[in-house]
Amino acid sequence: GSSITELLGALCDSTLKGVSWKRRALGGISREGVRRGLRRRAYGALLSKLFQDGGQSKAPQQPDCLASTPPRNKMLMISFDLRVAGCREEAERLEELLGRLQEGPACGLVELDSSLELLVQLAGSVPPPALSF
Amino acid sequence: MASAANTNMNAVRETMDVLLEISRLLNTGLDMESLSICVRLCEQGINPEALSSVIKELRRASDTLKVSEFNSL
Repeated sequence: GSSITELLGALCDSTLKGVSWKRRALGGISREGVRRGLRRRAYGALLSKLFQDGGQSKAPQQPDCLASTPPRNKMLMISFDLRVAGCREEAERLEELLGRLQEGPACGLVELDSSLELLVQLAGSVPPPALSF
Repeated sequence: MASAANTNMNAVRETMDVLLEISRLLNTGLDMESLSICVRLCEQGINPEALSSVIKELRRASDTLKVSEFNSL
């Protein structure tokens, strides 16, 4: 398996998809320089969050009860919100997909709940895809 | 032995397919490649909240790059 360093590097590279490097090279900014900058920012974000979690945070981002809510329940709360917003089909699909996820070793992952929590944290972080006619 | 490994690979693949569809439904902005990297980071014990901060930070940096590219046209 890959190390955390390698995986973070791969995450930075995947972020840079779609950036034109020919133009950047002409402007004196190298791809390697941008990659280094991105890695610095990635580690900065990771470490600042870890230290914040370890210390006494003055303004917690979410109430304790929500922090201890299992991610599957948070997904069901999102599903409820979708229903309230009139997106019944999406809510039902989300519940169906959650039902298809195997619990424990049967899913093949050790930290499935962490992956679900990540999706909860990133929910709505980009606009929905534009409808095509 | 090989059969157990195959069974596990199939389980991982199925789980990843479901996670990708959930990810799309929730508009997380992760494609299969980035989702796969994130799942592997979670499997290595990275805190998911910290990882979401990293992804948002990388997106901000990437957006800044793309805006400066657009302005230089």
